[in-house]
Amino acid sequence: MTKWGMVIDLNKCTGCGACVNACRIENNIPNVGPEAAHNGRSMDWMQIVTEYDGEYPDIRITHIPLLCFQCDNAPCTKVCPVHATYQNSDGLVGQVYYRCIGCRFCMAACPYSAKKFNYAEPDVPEEYENHLNPDVTRRMKGVVEKCSFCHHRLAHAKDLARYEDRDLRESDFQPACVESCPADAMVFGDLENPDHTVHDLKDSSRVFRLEEELGTEPKVYYLKKEDK
Amino acid sequence: MTKHEKVTPQIVLFLQIMSISLIWVLVVSVIWWVLNLISLSNYLHDAQNATLAISILIMPLFILLAGILTYVFVGLRRNRFEDDEHA
Amino acid sequence: MDDLRHDPDYTLFRPILEKDRRFLWMVSVLVGLIGWSIYMYMRQWKYGLSVTGLNNNVTWGFYIINFVFFIGVSHAGTLISAILRLSQAEWRRPITRMAEVITAIVLMIGGIHPIIDLGRPDRLMNVFYYGRLQSPLLWDVTAITTYFTASTVYLYVPMIPDIALLRDRTTKFRWLYKFLSWGYRGTERQKHILERAMSILMVLVIPVAVSVHTVISYIFSMTLQSGWHSTIFGPYFVTGAIYSGTATLLVVMIAFRKMYHLENYLKEIHFRYMSILLLVFSLLWTYFTFSEFLTGVYGNEPMEMMVIRFKLTGAYAPYFWSMVTLNFLIPLIVLTNKKLKTIKGILITSIGVIIGMWLERLIIIVPSLTNTRLPLVVQTYIPSLTEWSLFIGGISIFCLMFLIFSKVFPLISIWEIKDGRAEGLEEAKGRLESYLPDQTLAEGRVQ
Repeated sequence: MTKWGMVIDLNKCTGCGACVNACRIENNIPNVGPEAAHNGRSMDWMQIVTEYDGEYPDIRITHIPLLCFQCDNAPCTKVCPVHATYQNSDGLVGQVYYRCIGCRFCMAACPYSAKKFNYAEPDVPEEYENHLNPDVTRRMKGVVEKCSFCHHRLAHAKDLARYEDRDLRESDFQPACVESCPADAMVFGDLENPDHTVHDLKDSSRVFRLEEELGTEPKVYYLKKEDK
Repeated sequence: MTKHEKVTPQIVLFLQIMSISLIWVLVVSVIWWVLNLISLSNYLHDAQNATLAISILIMPLFILLAGILTYVFVGLRRNRFEDDEHA
Repeated sequence: MDDLRHDPDYTLFRPILEKDRRFLWMVSVLVGLIGWSIYMYMRQWKYGLSVTGLNNNVTWGFYIINFVFFIGVSHAGTLISAILRLSQAEWRRPITRMAEVITAIVLMIGGIHPIIDLGRPDRLMNVFYYGRLQSPLLWDVTAITTYFTASTVYLYVPMIPDIALLRDRTTKFRWLYKFLSWGYRGTERQKHILERAMSILMVLVIPVAVSVHTVISYIFSMTLQSGWHSTIFGPYFVTGAIYSGTATLLVVMIAFRKMYHLENYLKEIHFRYMSILLLVFSLLWTYFTFSEFLTGVYGNEPMEMMVIRFKLTGAYAPYFWSMVTLNFLIPLIVLTNKKLKTIKGILITSIGVIIGMWLERLIIIVPSLTNTRLPLVVQTYIPSLTEWSLFIGGISIFCLMFLIFSKVFPLISIWEIKDGRAEGLEEAKGRLESYLPDQTLAEGRVQ
């Protein structure tokens, strides 16, 4: 059983936002426009929260990239009334857009506010139509969506490995955000496979998970920022 | 007075039979739905015991409610006005 | 027809028999309001929930608040009337029917709200095809369906003798009354059947009613959100529900007393007894609120405190403190003071309680969503015109259905009043005597 997970080194993260943009492009995330974004309806699956510590001029800044943590004990999958969000056989938390009834119970239940709701029909300008990622389903109005760890890439990687008759390698499956990170702050892989980097990283002394005490078992680990 | 009435006892009887059958249609559909959910949860291995526990609560309740209504309706009609029938 | 005018209870038949200009006027206003809200809903259907004031953090707003509020009000009826009937409180006779009507109507309105709230109402049937009984939302669906069925039956069965009365003594809607009375003519056997059914229903309806609001509170308490994840929510919601229901019942009683001149039936004493019930629930509600907040403040858990501070001193402080005033201070002052406890005073208190209980639902739902566990920027929730319109539409549907009901069926149970006159007096006397110590036994001990 593989257990896909991510380790994000907050020491390395510069908060550049490359991951957020890569995610937008990879997953056909619609641009909601300035007004809706101001009203808190931005659809970004990733966001970077910046925390400031200390008084000017001695400020310590920490950027924390947030995404869906694909919890092993996910509060959102428990409450879904129609099996639209569930944990799939890869251990990822899936979202079936064509079944979701839009009750938004999973959003209320998620302690990490990782889910987004399509308040309006996504507005995709005509000239963008040819630039959409064909591997990712386009969402419709009234359904909930969230980061999938680029699950479509996993499907491709599995197909490739099967074709070449070998096991899945770490480099086969990397989400768009990890791939795009210029600072190499994000590392992705199988948490239970000793050959993968994340396996050792997650046992580092600096490691922590957000709201770990809730028992949700998130699969995204952070490495604490340390003063140098 | 009864001569002017357009609604005959037959229509009233038809409406009454319809309403009793509708109640039972509701009960049967609720039970059918719950059984569907049980089989679904069993198929997906998704919280079977919770599903079973809740469905064991629901089904008898609806049967009891429909039973009471049927008991009242049938019981009352058995002792109805005799002249109502011939009107 | 003519003999009805000499009936001592002619007043109760009057709304059904007589044409009323006010009625038409009110109905047209209400239909207009409902039409407007339907138009607003069609807009929402077309443009999605973007027409509301919700955002990605505050995902539940007016619709869910009103859902909880309306279902809460529905507890007026059946629960109060079942408890009063079970405890054989003789003063219940003119009240039970109104209480039961409130339940049936409001429950229907409340039940529609989660559907209004759906992002994809066209996929509603998915709940039936792919439902998961594990989800608290499904518990709601089943509990509300059960409660609606049970309370409609509980409204209807005790109404059969009245429908038979109308069938025999009036000419309007005769086919309807004929259909609904099932040939009831008051024989011993028929009375026995009705009594038996009613006594089963009374007992059945109480646990169902309690379970409904408990299950609604579970929508919130089953999540891990701070401010929601609490064991007190079940009983807290039930108490609040009965509280708001009692207040609504009082308002309805006062309104229809004035409109249909029922002063002879709904006397001061009824209001006094009902207001005691209101006061009891006010205190119970305060007790629960106090426990809820004291445990939170004393525990001082940071996430919990963030929500509590938001309510007590933060952005929601005005709502919170007006809720405390409306739900605790005003009822306490008015209902314990003989001079203030007039019908007008009770009316004002009850309206205050209804508003206060609505605020309570607001205060429970929105602050927990606004204060996310992760330090995100969250927009404040400002309800849009659509949400307000649908709220007013819901209230209009309630008024309209209540008015129509009052024009077709008697709002006060006629047979129970007649029964009270004929048998209740003797029965109550006999019952009272049976409570007292037995005279012959007492004398025997002296000798």
